[in-house]
Amino acid sequence: MSPVEQGRLAARLRRILVMLPYAIHHPGVSVDELAKKFGTSKHDLIEDLKLLFMCGLPGYGPGDLIDVSYETDRVYVRMADYFAAPLRLTPAEAIALYAGSAAIAALPEMAEADALRRALAKLGRALGATSQQDPGIEVQLAAGSVDHLKQLQRALAGAKQIRLEYMSASSGELTSRTVEPWGLVATVGHWYLIGWDHLRNDERMFRTDRIKSVEVLDAPATVPDDFDAAAYQGAFIGRTGQRSFTLEISPEAATWFEDYYPVTSSEELDDGWTRVHLQTTNPRWAAGMILQLGKEVRAISPASILDETRSLAASIAARYAPSGSDAGEGMAAGPAGGGRTEPDRARSR
Amino acid sequence: MRRIERLINLIAALLETPRPLTADDIREQISGYDQPNDDAFRRAFERDKEALRAMGIPLELRKSDPFAEVGDAYIIPKDKYYLPELDLEPDELAALGVAAQAVLGAGDQAASGLLKLTAETSLPSLGGPRLLWGADVAAEQPLLGPLYAALLDRKVVRFRYGPGEGAAQRALESYGLVHRRGHWYLVGKDAGDAVIKSFRVSKISEVQASTSSYEVPKGFVAGDRLDREAWEWGPDPMTDATILFSDSVRWWAEQNLPAAATNEASDGLEVKVPFANVDALVAWLIGFGDKVTLIEPESARRRLLDCVGPYLEPVQ
Repeated sequence: MSPVEQGRLAARLRRILVMLPYAIHHPGVSVDELAKKFGTSKHDLIEDLKLLFMCGLPGYGPGDLIDVSYETDRVYVRMADYFAAPLRLTPAEAIALYAGSAAIAALPEMAEADALRRALAKLGRALGATSQQDPGIEVQLAAGSVDHLKQLQRALAGAKQIRLEYMSASSGELTSRTVEPWGLVATVGHWYLIGWDHLRNDERMFRTDRIKSVEVLDAPATVPDDFDAAAYQGAFIGRTGQRSFTLEISPEAATWFEDYYPVTSSEELDDGWTRVHLQTTNPRWAAGMILQLGKEVRAISPASILDETRSLAASIAARYAPSGSDAGEGMAAGPAGGGRTEPDRARSR
Repeated sequence: MRRIERLINLIAALLETPRPLTADDIREQISGYDQPNDDAFRRAFERDKEALRAMGIPLELRKSDPFAEVGDAYIIPKDKYYLPELDLEPDELAALGVAAQAVLGAGDQAASGLLKLTAETSLPSLGGPRLLWGADVAAEQPLLGPLYAALLDRKVVRFRYGPGEGAAQRALESYGLVHRRGHWYLVGKDAGDAVIKSFRVSKISEVQASTSSYEVPKGFVAGDRLDREAWEWGPDPMTDATILFSDSVRWWAEQNLPAAATNEASDGLEVKVPFANVDALVAWLIGFGDKVTLIEPESARRRLLDCVGPYLEPVQ
């Protein structure tokens, strides 16, 4: 049996074992409802039920076999008490449910937070291997001010526009803007506000810890019908008006780079470096990223991105320029000719 | 009889049997094991055992007692197969339902977990008002499951850590999994030198649970063993950096680094930030553009200027 067939068999068996307790506890449930609940087609669900005719306990007489009927579209499963209690959660299910719930429970102003915390405590007990009550999972997300999160949730709940004071991630510049909030998404370790930015007249993600102030306005906000929080995983959104740029990154940087940045394509070069293609609407953001890479990056194009990088580098260096008596040392030790003497280190961010 | 039917019969029989069943018992009693010869039966049974274990079904082997006249026997212990009674209240289940919808990237895992929790109730199906928030904290980490399984079983886990050929082999008594700032970390006691260590899950490969058991110390909080920020997490000895946040961004430090020691300066707020990863510190500070100055230590200043230097006009 091929691994694919093996996987299909396991998935089907798992679905049957999870579906059975539900069917046993809901006698007369409709085929449609079961199929919908367990994410399968009506046809496949009936095929699953048919299987059970041949299943039961040793002896396999009329009193041992599972009793299944699905006539008139109503499902009855009897004589299978041993499948009536649900299965334990798998580790992957437990982590998804526990970690997701823990992230959500930490949001202020969640109507469900109290019930969720009680549920997590019970779930934690069930996950603990022994009598110990610790589920062994912790979730920590950066969110910034709790008051700001509260305001954002209020605005979302009431579909109101907000006025934000926000510090740009690429330049540290503080701007004030009106935003129609669409949603809050936790990804890559931070909470982000997603919404329509009236200042840029475009969709934007705002890291909540970079918000200086939030004011909920009276003006109503509209959420697009096709808004889907899942589309914002990884914290980068595709936009119109993006321009592509290209870098070459070191073998060391290549091990983590694509996990953090929205690379559209890449190719490895003969000397082990990797050429990556990215897109941005914000050259300043690209410049910041390039400076952060330090010696791990070379061959930047187009020239406009390189110019932006030079201008950002100059403005940062100006803060270290020898204006007093002791500030010049860093510049003198710059890498123009030398390069660094300390070994390269793995980044962890 | 199809294999899936045979597997269902095997699970049913091993759950309900009052005593563990030997391979011979299984061949005689369970429908589907009517292979024509011993070899064919052995092969079928071995494959079935493997399939159930791969699915996480607790098929256990009870070694034969040398003084009794029975061979190795198998059973699925009820307490390990069934979900324990959780007594979740309706509002708690409903809240879990809302949370499960907000799980991004591992939504199918959360949903199938929720189906198990709600099998005995009449909770309405998922759906309802569209959620305006979500969290991808459990997404795309295939090794989380096996690592967590070993942690729950309290079995020493062996794995490789780091990239490529040079990856070091580790053995760990794992105490906890922590999601921090977008990454999962496994925290535990190194089975070799007995030191508490943390490992980035994304750098772990070749996970294998061993058979040796351990206890997690009472009251151990894995998160306390991780440093708070990316720049506190690294290879360098922990050192204080002094950073000048200019007036336009001092609010950020006040809001997000409330525990840091500060000092009023004429042109902003000086903040002391401990760091153990100079690259991460420098990358973080570059994100503030020209709104912050790294005052000390000198080595970190030099590193920051290393990043910026190649893009400056040559200095004569």
